Amino acid sequence: MADAPVDELDAFRRSADLTHGELWFRYFELGGMSTGIQLEAFLYGALEPTDHDRDVIAQALNERFVELGGNHPVPYAEEERSA
Amino acid sequence: MATYGSSSPSEFSVVTTYVGFEAVLAVRGEVDVRTAPGLKANLDAAIDAGHRFVVLDLADLDFMDGSGLHVIAKCAGRLALAGGALTVRSPTAMVCRMLDIVGLANLIRLEHTVLIPAVLGPEETVKLDGVLTQAMTQGKSHHPRRVSAFPTDDQLVDSTLRLVVALAHATVEGANGVSVTLRRRGHLATVAATDETISDMDANQYATHEGPCIDASVEGRWFHATSLDTETRWPAFIPRAKALGINAILSSPLLDRDQPIGALNIYSRRAMAFGPEDQELASVFAAEASTVLTDIGVHGTDDQLATRFQEALRTREIIAQAQGVIMARDGVEEDSAYSTLLRLSIDSDRPLRSGAEDLLTSTLRPPPDADPLLKERFHG
Repeated sequence: MADAPVDELDAFRRSADLTHGELWFRYFELGGMSTGIQLEAFLYGALEPTDHDRDVIAQALNERFVELGGNHPVPYAEEERSA
Repeated sequence: MATYGSSSPSEFSVVTTYVGFEAVLAVRGEVDVRTAPGLKANLDAAIDAGHRFVVLDLADLDFMDGSGLHVIAKCAGRLALAGGALTVRSPTAMVCRMLDIVGLANLIRLEHTVLIPAVLGPEETVKLDGVLTQAMTQGKSHHPRRVSAFPTDDQLVDSTLRLVVALAHATVEGANGVSVTLRRRGHLATVAATDETISDMDANQYATHEGPCIDASVEGRWFHATSLDTETRWPAFIPRAKALGINAILSSPLLDRDQPIGALNIYSRRAMAFGPEDQELASVFAAEASTVLTDIGVHGTDDQLATRFQEALRTREIIAQAQGVIMARDGVEEDSAYSTLLRLSIDSDRPLRSGAEDLLTSTLRPPPDADPLLKERFHG
């Protein structure tokens, strides 16, 4: 997704109808180690997450989309690079 | 609101002026949960008006907490999206430190025009001097260590607040222990602590009805006992603290919509252990803990909250165990093992926790006297 907007991840969060706190909790649950503020900075594109952090965030969002009856719309680090 | 700031803080205001192609927003007073929306509205207005280069002038800032950082992070993202940049002018040492801690310092341009001591609040005992401020402005930074393990004693730790506790313990120099106190059913209780001594320190304060942790939880401002040898407050509690070998305490309030709901307590065996930097760090972690508590709804019943936390921690544990299995099996690093686990779960269209559980089950060996059918299942 070379031309994806920098706040692409936050757009996914809004579509998934999650607050920043909810998403942080899910991210933490799946093994995330960054603070809430860092997570927000990743979502807005203000900070570049590591591949690992990107994967945990993507998984937290994708599991939510599956709960809502969707698929896995959020690309993982590897897909992001090859896009 | 909390009295985090100086004893006579200026009223919050933002004045926007336009200098060439830059929008310069001069902030005065305190930026906290109450005033951060006002700061955001002013920044949004400047960006909406088409300004891609925005300067946040903090020369007259008295205090900024985590909510101000959220605004800065969001604004920096918007400007990056528009191909512009955010400059923070005349940041206090506290703001520099906070930006550094949350990893925003490299993203935002910092302009130091005047060296201003940070205002740390009514409990301030050591003023930031020019030397320290100078060191910070020259880019000296102390990145928090990455924490990959948590305290394991579940009796002492019953919530995800241990993340905050673990981070605070690992990053505040001189900290021998950290705890979080929360008001539950009208009483203060320790919900996370790094070890038993620290848990006992809190318990002694509840038993004597006095101490910095109680005062911070009730009054919503921070309390710093620099040396218990000379401390005259809390006469019933201090001898008990000294008996446990503690000599300095820093308690920062946790707030939910401006109301004090608890405290983050940092303990040291050494007198004068906490300097201005540690006080800043504590305020950041307390703000972080407050945000978490507010976001997840600390007002839910204790049982619901505890169940949810325990479930989340259990999930983390299962995932970590599965990662360990993959690391040992494939001889790979932690992150690589996580990727493998992720791939397994995506391919099987299962949540990550279920994928991890499947993997762990497949590695179990049945006991020797197990049912033959069960054996077949495990080995099949």
